[in-house]
Amino acid sequence: MRRLGRSDPKRVLLVDDEERILTALCRSLRREGYELVTAQTPREALKRLAEQSFDAVLTDHKMPRMTGVELLAKVARLQPNAARLLITGWSQAVSDKEIEAIEIDAVLPKPWEDSELKDALRKALG
Amino acid sequence: METTPSLVRIVVLTRAEGRESSRDTLDALTQLGGDVEIELVRDASACLAAASGGKVDAVLLDRASREVCAPVLQALGRAGPPIIIVTDDAGEGPALDAFRSGAADCVRVGPDYADVLPVVVLEQLQRWRKQRARGVAERRIRDLQRYNDDIIQNLNSALLVVDRDGCIVTANTTAEEILAPGPGGLVGRSVWEWLADQTPEQSVIGQTLNEGVRFKGAETKIRLPDGSVIPIGLSCSPLGADTDDDPAAGSSGRGAVAIFQDLSEMKQLERQVRQTEKMASIGQLAAGVAHEINNPMGFIHANLFQMTEYLGDLRQAWERVEDLQKVIHDLAAGDDPGAGLKAIRTASDALSATARELDLDFVQTDFAKALRESQDGAERIRHIVKDLRDFSHQGSDECIEADVNECLDSTASIAWTMMKHSVVLEKEYCDLPPIRCYPAQLKQVFMNLLVNAYQAIEEKLGDGGGTGRMKIRTEERDGGVSISICDTGNGIEPQDVNRIFDPFFTTKQVGAGTGLGLATSYSIVRRHDGRMDVSSEPGEGTTFTIWLPFSGPAAL
Repeated sequence: MRRLGRSDPKRVLLVDDEERILTALCRSLRREGYELVTAQTPREALKRLAEQSFDAVLTDHKMPRMTGVELLAKVARLQPNAARLLITGWSQAVSDKEIEAIEIDAVLPKPWEDSELKDALRKALG
Repeated sequence: METTPSLVRIVVLTRAEGRESSRDTLDALTQLGGDVEIELVRDASACLAAASGGKVDAVLLDRASREVCAPVLQALGRAGPPIIIVTDDAGEGPALDAFRSGAADCVRVGPDYADVLPVVVLEQLQRWRKQRARGVAERRIRDLQRYNDDIIQNLNSALLVVDRDGCIVTANTTAEEILAPGPGGLVGRSVWEWLADQTPEQSVIGQTLNEGVRFKGAETKIRLPDGSVIPIGLSCSPLGADTDDDPAAGSSGRGAVAIFQDLSEMKQLERQVRQTEKMASIGQLAAGVAHEINNPMGFIHANLFQMTEYLGDLRQAWERVEDLQKVIHDLAAGDDPGAGLKAIRTASDALSATARELDLDFVQTDFAKALRESQDGAERIRHIVKDLRDFSHQGSDECIEADVNECLDSTASIAWTMMKHSVVLEKEYCDLPPIRCYPAQLKQVFMNLLVNAYQAIEEKLGDGGGTGRMKIRTEERDGGVSISICDTGNGIEPQDVNRIFDPFFTTKQVGAGTGLGLATSYSIVRRHDGRMDVSSEPGEGTTFTIWLPFSGPAAL
């Protein structure tokens, strides 16, 4: 679904250490019209962030050596205009304080509902 | 033979006529030498009064009449000091009467009287002294016996003495309570009646009796009369004067003495501790395991949704196929070929358009891919749940043949869920024959060591990130299996190495562990008749090595 007035598709960075989760996320978002870029480690994600600008970053929380919350904090500094979304199976991943401090746009549960995911992204990008 | 005693007290019952009538007796008695105290009395009651109190060494009835002697003899005859009768009657009759009535000796007054009397009195005095000494000794023996009995009966442990055939000779109250022999008690029964699945030669007591082996705290089982089997801790030693001197003799002399306790309660507590430890280690892994289940659930769930959409797309395409089919059918049945062919083209175009719109090629490939990925995900969940269930399972108390590699690997895959972010795990399994063991307990030991290794690595890495290395290895050695788990964690300080197997010793923070993990693991390995060692380099890493014999726990 394209945003009126913008000809370029929105670029979304998907970060999760589980490859099949990334595949599944791409499947869910296939028809949304986004340019999807994936990264399997926080380090890889930071590399991508250094190379291009993103309209949104959607990340898992439990990852090797850096959590999703820590990554989003970095994103807030590196690309403050990018929307920040967390998707996690761990309900205590992030406190309300942190959500405010880092300005996280949405926290999605894992497993996620297809419609919930699409709506959250649309809202964050809209 | 002693000569004269120290102080001798003699009571002399004389005739009514008075002192002078016993002149010869008194003179004769001076020949005894030493300290002799003589009390002269004139009637039976005075005699008895003087002789009571136990301080008199002899009583002389000096030519007193039978009526006077009779009460004295009756009262003192059997249980008092010796009574010597002096008579001037001729013949054996009076002497025999005297002995029958309880006199110790009889002296006839004659020409040798002055020589004979002291000898007789002396002899009786010595006999009387020996008797009293024996009485004291007998009392002492009885007291000692009672003392020993008290000790034996009041022991908290059960005590049995058996003869060399295994017949029970002595048993204390605790033994009666534990063995429950029923009416008649234990003494006289055969101790082999309580064996559980063993021959007498195989049993602990049997080995003590046949080979003189001493056992201390041996764990074995016995069968009670009601059929139940209980574990006992048994110490057994041979009883016999020759045992120490002649070990080659083999037999145990008099028999064996065994002390034992019922270990049922202790075993129950041990089981509880093991289960608690196991649950504690599962608790440590819960987050990792949940993640390991939740992630596959995530993509399975999403894929199922997508596959439903794909199915919808395929249905849509199929509708176009059906349209085309219908048109072909109508053409075949109809009479206007021109119009029919046009219709076919239209329908065919519609099908192509739909296929393009829906990107059917992609849908078909991706559908298959999504299905495969979901199947893999489901398999992963199945596997982790199975490993977890196997690990949590109480485990029967039976010793069975099991594959150590499989035990180790299944435990490692559970622990892996927690470790995978910060540990590179190397596995080196050797081909191993099965060993006799309690697999659930072994898995618990492996889990404990893996978790400890992981925590050591985490501590060393700190907040810095990076990875540590862990290596698990199995190999065959010395008639058993050697399993080693080494890590590149922060190691153990030399002063702590000897204490790490102590219960409740821990280097972790308060609340971070029960402190019982290694102690429980150590006791499990010992139960398997195995060994557990550790070597560590502070700052570099630690290696735990377990060795287990193929034959498993020694059967007792």
